[in-house]
Amino acid sequence: MNEISQIFEIVNFGLVILDNELNVKHWNQWMARHSGIEADRITGAFLLDFFPELNTPRFLRSCKMVIAFGNFSFFSQKLHHFLFPFKPDGSFKSMFEYMQQNCTLGPLRNDLNAITGIFLIVQDVTELASYEQKLVEMNMKDGLTGIYNRRFFQTRLSEEYERHTRYAGMLSLIMFDIDFFKNVNDNYGHQCGDSVLKSVAAKIGSIIRKTDYLARYGGEEFCCLLPQTDLAAARRLAERFRLHIEALMTPCQGHDINVTISLGVSGLHGEDSEEMLLKRADQALYDAKNSGRNCTVVMP
Amino acid sequence: MNNTQISEEERDILQEIMNIAFGQAAAELAEIINIFVVLSIPYIRMIEAVDLPDYIRTEFSEFGNISIVEQNFWGDFKGTALLIFPAGSGKELISLLDDTPPPVAGSQSSDILEKETLMEVGNILIGACVGKVAELLKDVVTYSPPRVIVEDHPDIMMPKTLFDPTNSAIILKTIFCFNERDVHGFLFLITSHKSVAWLKTALADFMKQYE
Repeated sequence: MNEISQIFEIVNFGLVILDNELNVKHWNQWMARHSGIEADRITGAFLLDFFPELNTPRFLRSCKMVIAFGNFSFFSQKLHHFLFPFKPDGSFKSMFEYMQQNCTLGPLRNDLNAITGIFLIVQDVTELASYEQKLVEMNMKDGLTGIYNRRFFQTRLSEEYERHTRYAGMLSLIMFDIDFFKNVNDNYGHQCGDSVLKSVAAKIGSIIRKTDYLARYGGEEFCCLLPQTDLAAARRLAERFRLHIEALMTPCQGHDINVTISLGVSGLHGEDSEEMLLKRADQALYDAKNSGRNCTVVMP
Repeated sequence: MNNTQISEEERDILQEIMNIAFGQAAAELAEIINIFVVLSIPYIRMIEAVDLPDYIRTEFSEFGNISIVEQNFWGDFKGTALLIFPAGSGKELISLLDDTPPPVAGSQSSDILEKETLMEVGNILIGACVGKVAELLKDVVTYSPPRVIVEDHPDIMMPKTLFDPTNSAIILKTIFCFNERDVHGFLFLITSHKSVAWLKTALADFMKQYE
């Protein structure tokens, strides 16, 4: 084995050489290890016979582009996730079903510069993708309750507002707050306060639709954005929130803690801005607090 | 005439080569990957790279925001290609690639899709154009992965080193029209003075075959 061939086997990424008809000429150790297909079994075979999932317009176009133009072609993890369906390394199995890959295709030429084949490089970027995913999640979610954070909520609100003004749909908002939350902290301690926040968020999260966005807006204040929902439906939903929380018991350090919530509901209409939608929900919540708490106030 | 600028005659030859190259590239794109694109180059000129940001700003002022795809290429002729589209073109181009892309998780999915489409189309066009020109001049080039360097941003925020005084910019005011859809792109090639010297020799050699 000459030196270059040794390197071909040693490198810590996938290297495949195909002829112009996409038959495998070389298949390195890395590819064998991750695919479970040994080089001698796949060498000489049509690549798509072993990987029918590569039979896509995108992959075939890329190969043609390499062969006809000598172009390079790139399959980024961001858009394609992977080219070859390999299992990820153990520690990432819970996060990704398949190894995340960046792949590059390019031409190989002979001494006369004629294209004689394609090289294919497969890089495992699962670890990087997992960090990115975690960062994205941390940026979106509230650390304590696991529901969306205020920043993400604002972004979604802007996007839904845009969509609403463009397609004239309906958009409602429920803002709610745990009544006398300070007493929970004072009577049972902050750990129990945290438990209550978590269980309230989890309960409400289990009631809403997949298309709704629940976020922790402030300390014990929450917001729920309801796309394609009119005011009457939003009010009914708010009442369901209220009744569910009224019936909810949070066990903590030998106590069963029960809290109630006050809710404000508003809907977007006419020449409204996003700020006005928020402001009216906030005002409605304030009115609910002043009307004795554990109730819902609608401000259309 | 110094060695880092091209003469009028050389510019004419370059324009001719570009026309041949782009004609062939368009025909092959249509034949091989079913992408129908009309490429035309009404205008070629060379300026110093330091003047390019101002040029782009002036030239694209009417577009508002722009998207720039950047890709490096290496051969005897080496440098950086910048493909500039009006912002939002990515959305128009998505249908061009004509296969349903895999779903992308997260709320920014459509932004990612648009950006990746820009990169993919950029890769195809830059590859076809630069590759064909290189081929006609008997050069072979390789490429870096494309990057979208400006997205929905009114200011030109490209790396300063690109506009180094030792670089020249060949302005190919190339217009790409896709499937009669009105997406126009502009291609700029930024090369070192050394590459320009090579280009001058290659252009002279190219003309020899007609003498």
